[in-house]
Amino acid sequence: MKKLDSICIIDDDPITLFGIKKILSNVVVCKTISTYKNGKLAIDDIKFNLEKVSNIPQIIFLDINMPIMDGWQFLAQFIKLPITQKVRINIVTSSIDIADRERWEYYKTRTHHLITFNNKPIKKEEISQITEVP
Amino acid sequence: MSKKIKEYKSSYLIKQLPSATAFFDKKLRLLHASDKWINNFEFELDKIFGKNINELFQKSEIEWQCNVQDCLAGKVNKSFVQQHTDAENNEKWIEWDMMPWYDEKEDIIGLIVKTTNVTQKIKKDQDLIRLQSLLKVKSEIAKIGSWSFNLLTNELIWCDMTKQLHELALDYKPDVETSIEFYKQGHSRNSISQAVDNAIQHGTEWNDKFQIITAKGKEKWVDVSGRPLYKDNRVVAVFGTFQDVNDQVLTNQKVRENERLLQTVMDNLPLNVFIKDLDSKKILVNKAECRYLGVENPDELLGKDDFELYPKKSAQISRKEDLEVMNSRIPIFGLETTSVKNDGSKTTFLTSKIPLLDNNDSVTGLVGISMDITELKQKEEELKKLIEVTTDQNKKLVNFAHIVSHNLRSHSANFSMLLDFLINESNGDERKNLMNMLVEASDNMLETLENLNEVVTINTNTNLVKKQLILRGVAKKVVLDLAAFLQNNNAKIVNRISEKITIPVVPSYLESILMNIITNSVKYKDPERNPVIELRAMKTKGFTVLSICDNGMGIDMEQYGDKLFGMYKTFHNNTDARGIGLYITKNQVEAMQGKITVSSEVGKGTTFNIYFNEKT
Repeated sequence: MKKLDSICIIDDDPITLFGIKKILSNVVVCKTISTYKNGKLAIDDIKFNLEKVSNIPQIIFLDINMPIMDGWQFLAQFIKLPITQKVRINIVTSSIDIADRERWEYYKTRTHHLITFNNKPIKKEEISQITEVP
Repeated sequence: MSKKIKEYKSSYLIKQLPSATAFFDKKLRLLHASDKWINNFEFELDKIFGKNINELFQKSEIEWQCNVQDCLAGKVNKSFVQQHTDAENNEKWIEWDMMPWYDEKEDIIGLIVKTTNVTQKIKKDQDLIRLQSLLKVKSEIAKIGSWSFNLLTNELIWCDMTKQLHELALDYKPDVETSIEFYKQGHSRNSISQAVDNAIQHGTEWNDKFQIITAKGKEKWVDVSGRPLYKDNRVVAVFGTFQDVNDQVLTNQKVRENERLLQTVMDNLPLNVFIKDLDSKKILVNKAECRYLGVENPDELLGKDDFELYPKKSAQISRKEDLEVMNSRIPIFGLETTSVKNDGSKTTFLTSKIPLLDNNDSVTGLVGISMDITELKQKEEELKKLIEVTTDQNKKLVNFAHIVSHNLRSHSANFSMLLDFLINESNGDERKNLMNMLVEASDNMLETLENLNEVVTINTNTNLVKKQLILRGVAKKVVLDLAAFLQNNNAKIVNRISEKITIPVVPSYLESILMNIITNSVKYKDPERNPVIELRAMKTKGFTVLSICDNGMGIDMEQYGDKLFGMYKTFHNNTDARGIGLYITKNQVEAMQGKITVSSEVGKGTTFNIYFNEKT
């Protein structure tokens, strides 16, 4: 079992939240798993934690289509934050829109964080790979 | 000498002779002379008698000398003509007759000389020769021959040119019967026969064109004129000219054919064609141009410029173009112009103006060709609109396809995941939990499908029946339906819509739109104040605009503006926000050929403007 300090899951769908948590429980032991229903709640919390210099998530699972602030809007704000450590951001979406893949390519090259693109549902085989801390 | 003078005097008889006569003796000395003879040569009376003939005339020509000698030998020669220059240097022509002078014994005692002044006759002869040669040259150049027909002798005479024009040998002898046969059978032959007959019978003159077939079988146009010659009030001959006009006639025919061809082509072109002179006055127009300007006859347009035919402004523009083309010699091709007529009607043309040059390459005007593309333009506009509509619909369709695919995918992903968990789960409680989640997922999908179905229904129902409704009335009804909800939220509705405003709408859509927006306004009220919603309506071009203005919490337009009407987009942390209402509202508005816009300020409120199309 991998040991991690902090994982963050952002998705408005409770079933997906449940699913990711359940799969994670099979491969990693994590001190803190935070879940957020939209990007806005997540970014606000991350900003808040950043000020306290504590507990920046090592891995983020990010949905794209969410109310209030979607995944892209979250990403745009997140990569601007003064976080020196490399964070793995796993985009998890049911979208098969090419435009979304293009936006992923766009953000990938504009940050030192590691961004991956994954389609729902997340498979157990994938989970160990995308929980590797970069 | 005195004896001679005496002799002269004694021959008083000779002096008075009416003809100019002189007598010389054998030694050629002048013995007698008539006064007329002396006058002829302007001799001085007392200085000539007894003088030798050679002394008097100083003629050295052999012919003259021979004549003198022959005469003395008793030989009578023909008269001959000699030139004589008188004292005033006038040239005279004298005809000499010399004959021997016999005495009673038939002995030659001298010679008798008779002279006649033939100057006038000679001059006339010279003139005649000159005239004849001139006439010949003229007839050769103009190819004019002559002919005459003597009715008394039945003799037909053709001049050389007439024969040449028939391609006959010059020794050809024409007669009336065969000459008629040179004329082409049919009209030409009938006409010439008639003309000749009329001239003979009634003395009628003629001058007409006929076709002949020459001796060598060539067809040729000739101009034949004829007039009668009278004697004792009777026609005794007919004579006239015979001229080759083949080239002229053929050229004329060709020109006429070309003119006709040009006119036919021009008149039947679906284009307005006109030719203008340097002053932009029309000098030629085709039928289409006449029709366009509403006249029957081209003459009504010829000589007129654009200032007489169009409003001043149009005429000025056109004249400017004309001048530019004529000055620069560079044609205008396919320029799109709008022509306004005096009655105000507008026509769009593709106009070309081409400078017109004469043989010396100087500009004499221009040729104008205009194609009426008004209908084409209209079609183009319609097409553009159609493309806009299609593009818009296509966008909507793609958008909708994405929505469907995304939503169904997310549900199926959940099913797939939950089922996978269920298969591998042995714990009873956990299995029960997973089963509940599956039911929830299934309910979610059903709801999604219902929503999608609603959207599809709005977009595919093309048989929408619009009814003319009083907007204020519908708004009142919706407010009444929402009375309890509004009361619970302390909401106040201010209906400022005029009673008079009616709009063609699908009744259920209008109610749904009003209900949705009013409910939203209350749902997203500012927690600090009671909701006040104001309804207004006004007419703009082609639309009636309904404004619904609230004092709610407002929306951050910069952040959410482009997503406001998207499906499953919610912007507030409101638990019952489904993200479908405004999407359906927008679809309903657009299904009625309208549009919806929004303006908002966070903390102040939101205004929706709904444009209802006035087309039924």
